Amino acid sequence: MIHQISIQGMLGATHARKGDERRKALLGVKGLRKRHGERLLFDIGCLEIASHSAYVLTGMNGAGKSTLLRVLGGLERAEIDSLRFEGMEERPYPYPRALRESIVYVHQHPVMFSTSIAHNIGYGLEVRGVAKEEAARKVEEAMAWAGVAHLQDVEPGRLSGGERQRVALARAKVLCPKLLLLDEPTSNLDGQAREQVIELIPTMVEAGGSVVIACHDRDLIGLPGVQRLKLRDGQLEVR
Amino acid sequence: MSLLDATLRAFALLFTGDPDLWRIIWVSLKTSVLGLLLATPPAVLLGYLVAMHRFKGRRIAIWLAQAALSLPTVLIGLLLYLLLSRHGPMGPLQWLFSQPGIIAGQFVVAIPVLLAFTLAAVQAVDPRYAETAVAHGASRVQVMVRVLHEARFGVMAAVLSGFGRVISEVGCALMVGGNIEGETRTITTAIALETSKGEFAQGIALGIVLVTIALLMNGVLMLLQGDAHVARDRP
Repeated sequence: MIHQISIQGMLGATHARKGDERRKALLGVKGLRKRHGERLLFDIGCLEIASHSAYVLTGMNGAGKSTLLRVLGGLERAEIDSLRFEGMEERPYPYPRALRESIVYVHQHPVMFSTSIAHNIGYGLEVRGVAKEEAARKVEEAMAWAGVAHLQDVEPGRLSGGERQRVALARAKVLCPKLLLLDEPTSNLDGQAREQVIELIPTMVEAGGSVVIACHDRDLIGLPGVQRLKLRDGQLEVR
Repeated sequence: MSLLDATLRAFALLFTGDPDLWRIIWVSLKTSVLGLLLATPPAVLLGYLVAMHRFKGRRIAIWLAQAALSLPTVLIGLLLYLLLSRHGPMGPLQWLFSQPGIIAGQFVVAIPVLLAFTLAAVQAVDPRYAETAVAHGASRVQVMVRVLHEARFGVMAAVLSGFGRVISEVGCALMVGGNIEGETRTITTAIALETSKGEFAQGIALGIVLVTIALLMNGVLMLLQGDAHVARDRP
């Protein structure tokens, strides 16, 4: 409970400080349909994600939460009538470069590349061609933020579930994405590991991006200032 | 000559540095390594592409790649012979009965092994690795580098298996190379010739070399794979 109060405090302060005037339409998708064979998984008339905002995406198992995040993250295809990103009309496929550089998706069970923790966290910087010194500094900051600095000599394959999730969050955060898509980040965690991950999520929003979290976690769903989206019967409800 | 005598003579040939014997070993290693070096990049690339992409005819491509594993090398030799012979389409190259001809043969012999093993190794990599690379902004080439790095032990096994196949094959080297002493005589073609002449010592010596190479190669693979269980992320 102590953790929940502190999280609420952080998010409340964040949103009060930023104010509504800073929020602009970040991503707008119209006519988003996904089929698995003949079955229509979802048919979303309009999905709007604002900048500097946090959303939780709920729904029953199999409702399509992960699929929706994967479509938004460019890992799966769907039928899309129109797509706007930061006010610019974009063709949905091939997945636009602007979206690829601004949106990061994190798996429910993230995998670690078999290199080092620091390389894992700096991977996105490396592929973007960020200078080595700058990348090393950002990686160090991200490791401190995620509380994994003490793990830097550990083989990535030996990390616990909670440590792995925190490294994955650091790997995403270091890129300062405009939109972060988290797929059930606490689903396989309990106790302290879960609390540590929950503590990190509000600070990601505070950093200035938007975040959409698919989850069943009541502590995440109940956060103030977080908008609720629910996938039900193939439709998206905004609450 | 008894088996013991032949074996003792074989060791004598090996340790006295018999120039004919070491020339044969050199030709074998040179043609095998060059053939393999030329075959590895296209085969690994093709194996990766077939493993990672869905396209029409993919299952047929996989079927053909796997079927090619059991293609007799003597048949590959025959086809190459026809291509390289004076009136064949590649006749002007004048590669028949020359080391470039053997290298071309080893190239063709190695491709199916490299392709099929790389395909299997890449298919065994958890798809989340490629997705994680994509989600963090990697280009197609960067994703390929990442996935092949995760599949590196399988790819190394492919290369070593390919080497094992080319160094030990006899049919293609015999037909395309012609078993010319000092020029295109390889370990396997020499063993076949010496045995047919009743000269077992050189055959046994070359057999020892082949077995030693096989042991060394597999030892290297085992050493490299030693930390594979911790290098690979748990599912």
